[in-house]
Amino acid sequence: MKRIHFVTAVMILILAWSVVGYAQDFAHIEALLDRIEQRSSFENTDFSALVNMIVEDPEKGIEKIVVRQFSRNNGEKFLLLIQEPVANKGQGHLRDGDSLWMYDPSSRKFAHTSLKENFQDSDARNSDFVVESYATSYEIEGYEEGKLGNFAVYIVSLAAQSDNASVPYSKIWITKDTELVLKVEEYSLNRRLMRTNLYPKYAKVGDNLIPVQMIFIDELVAGQKTQMSLSEVSTNDIPDHVFTKAYVERVNR
Amino acid sequence: MSMTLKVASRNIFRQKKRTFLLAGAIAFGMLVITLINAFTGGLVENIRENIADIFGGHVFITGTEYPEGGQIVRRMKPDDRLDELLAEHAPFISSHTKRSEAYATFIFGSKRTVDTVYGVDFVEENKLLESLVVSKGSFDRVAELNNAIIVTETVGQRLGVEPGETILVKLDTITGQQNVGEFQVEAFVKDQDMFGMSSAYAHRAYLNELLGLDTHEFQNLYLTIHDLSQAEAVARDFRVGLRSDDEIEEEEVEVSVSVAGMPISPQDKKEPIQPWEGTRYRVMGINEIMEPIEQVVGVLDKIALVVFLILLFVTMVGITNTFRMIMIERTREIGTMRAFGMHKKQVKRIFLWEATLVSLLGVVTGLVLSGVLVFILSRIGITKDPAMQMFLTEGRLSFVISKGSLVVNTVLVVVISLIAAYWPAKAAAKLSPMKALGSHT
Repeated sequence: MKRIHFVTAVMILILAWSVVGYAQDFAHIEALLDRIEQRSSFENTDFSALVNMIVEDPEKGIEKIVVRQFSRNNGEKFLLLIQEPVANKGQGHLRDGDSLWMYDPSSRKFAHTSLKENFQDSDARNSDFVVESYATSYEIEGYEEGKLGNFAVYIVSLAAQSDNASVPYSKIWITKDTELVLKVEEYSLNRRLMRTNLYPKYAKVGDNLIPVQMIFIDELVAGQKTQMSLSEVSTNDIPDHVFTKAYVERVNR
Repeated sequence: MSMTLKVASRNIFRQKKRTFLLAGAIAFGMLVITLINAFTGGLVENIRENIADIFGGHVFITGTEYPEGGQIVRRMKPDDRLDELLAEHAPFISSHTKRSEAYATFIFGSKRTVDTVYGVDFVEENKLLESLVVSKGSFDRVAELNNAIIVTETVGQRLGVEPGETILVKLDTITGQQNVGEFQVEAFVKDQDMFGMSSAYAHRAYLNELLGLDTHEFQNLYLTIHDLSQAEAVARDFRVGLRSDDEIEEEEVEVSVSVAGMPISPQDKKEPIQPWEGTRYRVMGINEIMEPIEQVVGVLDKIALVVFLILLFVTMVGITNTFRMIMIERTREIGTMRAFGMHKKQVKRIFLWEATLVSLLGVVTGLVLSGVLVFILSRIGITKDPAMQMFLTEGRLSFVISKGSLVVNTVLVVVISLIAAYWPAKAAAKLSPMKALGSHT
């Protein structure tokens, strides 16, 4: 009888140890995601950049889009002003908290849009101009260690905590040593791969490390991808009036 | 009266050519107005029936939920209130269908396009497949294949897909998450995109799975009504019956004052929408959808009426002149009749009867001609253009002649003819028998 009690106690201990061990592993990844988020966050400074996008559409061919990006509070407020192509010049995407509008200068009207919508005809989404918060918007489903090219990486599987997250599920490749996100796979609700994002180049801006080159590959439409690169990056203060509808209306008049 | 009617009947055949021209002018006017009225009537009926076929009913019910801490979602669950209303109105309802829907991106290889996809129960909605015109593929396996999809010809061509091949459909779930499904294209159908009604059809169960709905849930409930004139009453009953206590309270609070038809709200600021429990329904009758179309058709009818009135006015001038001539021509005859004891009133009546008979002759001729033309036109295949199918029944125009407008038009013609003939009739009645007998005419 005593023997049975002893075996049961040992088993409970093993189980408890494995549960704690598992939780600790996740805590380590959670801390990693937190650090990544903090490092790419522009909470106390404004952010602006010139964004060049090359959209490869198998039907329409190659199109260049140039956008001036103004951002505040990690994208809680942002303005994306289209500079090229000329036909779309003056169009603007303005975000203020939960509201996101698209301005069309030809009709002089603002239309509601969402962060989940694609930006112009590219493979980038409006949410790609906001600092993705993997630590708060997603929960960790699991992780494994692996290699991406020559880099030793953590491959972390994430599930959205709410419907507000950009995608229901994603898998991210994070370098172990430099803690940089190199690749993201985005999955639909029924876990079909929809988009692969590659972040081959990072740059230091102040204390932050941000990707300055991104490649978005549409995994549903064969041959469709978009390359995005950032230049003229600045953290100088941006006047408040930039994040207003009035400014969007008059800036390209 | 019979004597005056007899004389009038004889008179209209004395000058056959003149009668033919007068009645012909009236007949032409009657033909134009009857044809236009019948055409617009048929047009409205065809659009109404075609819309009912496409939407799957005459009364449309949608439901939304807004749980605390959640977001507004379009979803209807099995509901006792709904079942009770359906049971109560069973004698009026010939069928009801439950659908889910999504505005989705259709992808095949490197090509993509967007369209609405309806999730339907193909067994329940057996009339749907009958109403769709297949241009490629077939419906044979649609019922048994869980991920079968029927797409419009335009979508099929745009994607470069063939029946039997698999396409991807990317859509948002009811809560706004992205989802992707694989569908097997079974058939292309002719599209009716005149009013943006181009749509694809798939199994509701599979679409529900992608939308994040349970199998037994749906987003739209369509009721088909036996007698279309009952559609509005049924819609009203469902609207009232499905209103929740919250909605009634909110409506009571929303008291507004209007001046000259313009509502004046005491609150300028829009109140934020508060979450609610259960499902809130929106009920719409087909007449609400048809209202703008009927307004356009109504304008066409009014233009036709104006043309008809112009024609009648010209005819009226013709009738007045003709009857004045008749009076001059028959002065001696009138004198003779008066000498033999005919009263002034009887002379006047002869003229008025004559005008009435001529106008009725014109009306009848116009109606007969309209009937013949309607018979011929409704048997001609107009076009196979899908955009035109909305206005046609089986590729042909159809005409609906309203009894009401027929009576109104006939009365209008007769009254105007009587007015036109009144003054010559009055002048004829006033003629002195002596002078009339002394006349050379």
